[in-house]
Amino acid sequence: MQTKILLPEEQMPKRWYNILADMPPMDPALHPKTGKPVTPEDLSPIFPMELIRQEVAADRFIDIPEEVREILALWRPSPLFRARRLEKHLKTPAKIFYKWEGVSPAGSHKPNTAVPQAYYNMKAGIERLATETGAGQWGSALAFATQLFGLECTVYMVRSSYAQKPYRKSMMQVWGAECLPSPTDRTNSGRQVLQGDPETPGSLGIAISEAVEDAATHSNTNYSLGSVLNHVCLHQTVIGLEAREQLAMVEEYPDVVIGCVGGGSNFAGISFPFAGDKIKGTKPGTDIVGVEPSACPSLTKGLFAYDYGDVAGLTPLLKMFTLGHDFVPPAIHAGGLRYHGDSPIVSRLVHDGVMRAVSYYQNEVFEAAQTFARTEGLIVAPESAHAVKAAIDMALECRKTGEAKTILFNNSGHGDFDMSSYDAFYQGKLVDYEYPAELIRQSLARLPKVG
Amino acid sequence: MDDPGPAVKRIGFLINPVAGMGGPVGLKGTDGKAGEAELRGAVPRSQERAVRTLALLRGPGFFFFTCSGEMGELALRRAGIDHYQVKYRYQGRSSAADTRAACLEFLSCGADLILFCGGDGTARDVFDAVGQRVPILGIPAGVKMFSAVFAVNPEAAADIVRSAGISDFLDAEILDIDEDAYRQGDLQTRLHGYARIPALPELTQYSKQVFEDRDEERARVGIARFIAETIAPGVLYILGPGTTTAALAKYLGLEKTLLGVDLVKDGKVVVTDASEAQIMEILRDSSGSRIIVSPIGAQGFVLGRGNQQISKDVIRTVGTGNIIVIASPGKLAGTPVLHVDTGDPKLDAEFGEHLTVVSGYRIAQRKRVLRISDDRD
Repeated sequence: MQTKILLPEEQMPKRWYNILADMPPMDPALHPKTGKPVTPEDLSPIFPMELIRQEVAADRFIDIPEEVREILALWRPSPLFRARRLEKHLKTPAKIFYKWEGVSPAGSHKPNTAVPQAYYNMKAGIERLATETGAGQWGSALAFATQLFGLECTVYMVRSSYAQKPYRKSMMQVWGAECLPSPTDRTNSGRQVLQGDPETPGSLGIAISEAVEDAATHSNTNYSLGSVLNHVCLHQTVIGLEAREQLAMVEEYPDVVIGCVGGGSNFAGISFPFAGDKIKGTKPGTDIVGVEPSACPSLTKGLFAYDYGDVAGLTPLLKMFTLGHDFVPPAIHAGGLRYHGDSPIVSRLVHDGVMRAVSYYQNEVFEAAQTFARTEGLIVAPESAHAVKAAIDMALECRKTGEAKTILFNNSGHGDFDMSSYDAFYQGKLVDYEYPAELIRQSLARLPKVG
Repeated sequence: MDDPGPAVKRIGFLINPVAGMGGPVGLKGTDGKAGEAELRGAVPRSQERAVRTLALLRGPGFFFFTCSGEMGELALRRAGIDHYQVKYRYQGRSSAADTRAACLEFLSCGADLILFCGGDGTARDVFDAVGQRVPILGIPAGVKMFSAVFAVNPEAAADIVRSAGISDFLDAEILDIDEDAYRQGDLQTRLHGYARIPALPELTQYSKQVFEDRDEERARVGIARFIAETIAPGVLYILGPGTTTAALAKYLGLEKTLLGVDLVKDGKVVVTDASEAQIMEILRDSSGSRIIVSPIGAQGFVLGRGNQQISKDVIRTVGTGNIIVIASPGKLAGTPVLHVDTGDPKLDAEFGEHLTVVSGYRIAQRKRVLRISDDRD
């Protein structure tokens, strides 16, 4: 009985899959000031040209540079596991497979895009990257990647996470990056937020504003985003491409594909190759499920509309599912899922019915993580635990119906820096936050329309 | 023993020796009924409950001011504590007046906290004496404990005393229960006032990790700002008692009674401290209406305790879908489950298994609702 399905190193993908080639045209990103579609020139102050090209590329496949592949090979191809012990524990006829991205140096899927982003910026002569990080996964991934290419790195880390996960900061330091609790007083955006609310827990939206401002005001500095954008989703497709190969090695194809969703990149990574198959009609029946926290349910309760990607309104307007760029999600432990919006591609695919989304409360998510740790051994990140929860629920559903579905989920990262969150769970201190959608709808209806 | 230094927590400690006696013998409360309870064979249980707490509070970190005999000294000695001073002596059978007098004595000695063992009646007496001047905490020993100042059990009370800081406080409801009516099978509760209880600092590490809104005032303003944005013209708002609803009224620029139910429409207070009849009358002329209430801390009653003017008829007229429950995160952290007791089990069931409680600006928490069986008989 095979437990680990390993792809030989030489079979690591040589090309990323660009799902845009298989989708109807997307609504363009709009310039925040003019409201007109953004041009490459608009983006060039903060992004290198190659990433701007990838953002709107029409080719179905895009070559992964050899220098990037060499670094990815440090941990890729990542293993695919059959969760036999979990299946047995759940007494389910379903087959549960999970892709384990916790093997990367930073401990999550994030380096998959950090490495190419650092690479393209280095090629463009950039000396420093500024970025934001929620739970610290992205910040440490970019810290790791930048130092490989000799770039400096400044990370604006959401304040609540900075306090929650001090070791993430230490990790970034080891890799030579500077990590600051956001909001800071270094940027206008940060100062503004602090003025309004000195005790703010911060949010991804605020931290993005700070990093964008930093990049836009320093010519040697570019901005780097760990999720949401098309090129980030593109880089993550190595996950799904590998998984599809690995499943084929055991003659399987998933009936269900699951990933947790914050900005959407790890979900995109695991699901886009399968979503592509679904769109093209070769595998039309795949159920593709994004999993959100009930505290921040953009896909399940948000509006599909143009909104800013950040709090200060510095980013282009993106057509996406959003809870409003000024929404500051409560301080849940899955800090990486605290984002008001979502990847425009994921949003569009959900809107078009190619994918769907579900949401869960914190406590049930940690219960699932505990079940997983006690059967499969791995202690997963609170973010990834959302995917675990959905996979378990799906498998239990199979127990009821007797269906032997093949379930694939992305286990996006380990929880080694999240022990305090597990502690809080065991102390009964986890709050089941909820998004009061109906009241918010009423409150928005009564707000003055601006602009 | 001499008065302790400032590093030591000074605790005023008293027991209502007869608290809890009425329950087992069917008196549903012992206010003015201690003699009858004894005749029925009741045994005081407050001593034993208090000793369970005190046994966990031995050591040099605490100094007690207490009362003579069964009102405190005996239990301290039984728990093996000798660093105390008797500050109040009573004669004959202890009474509510003794409780109040002892508390005033503790206050003048500079107690940091008053720890009492008793029931709702004792809580009310302690509160009447000291108000918000010093935090209080109850070791539950009474027949019924609807007030929010009680720890869940004697051991938890010791935990709170041990880990509580001396600067963080929460407001906690003191309820008035009409015991005569209660003995007739009619539970009449009314919000009597707000005491202060020690806020439990989370385990030190945790408090640094999560920026839960521990600042109650700030949280209440966030809630008020959010709810204020949803206020619509022409709709009647029935505001329940409490500091959270009062903060909302204040945010809206309205004067609200702290302990009563007030009616608000189109930016004006229509009726203050409304009775059920008044609410029903105004409801008849209103096209839309909403109830905004806050649960009682610790006990978790959303409806049916302390706000009975919002009766089952009122709730039916407004509709359970038009009830907004609000509470600060600090209060919710100390309130594990919610209860609804409208007096109509069918209506109670309409609230479902969970309630959404608004706890900040555009933030809510899902709290479990536990059905209570009709325990009045």
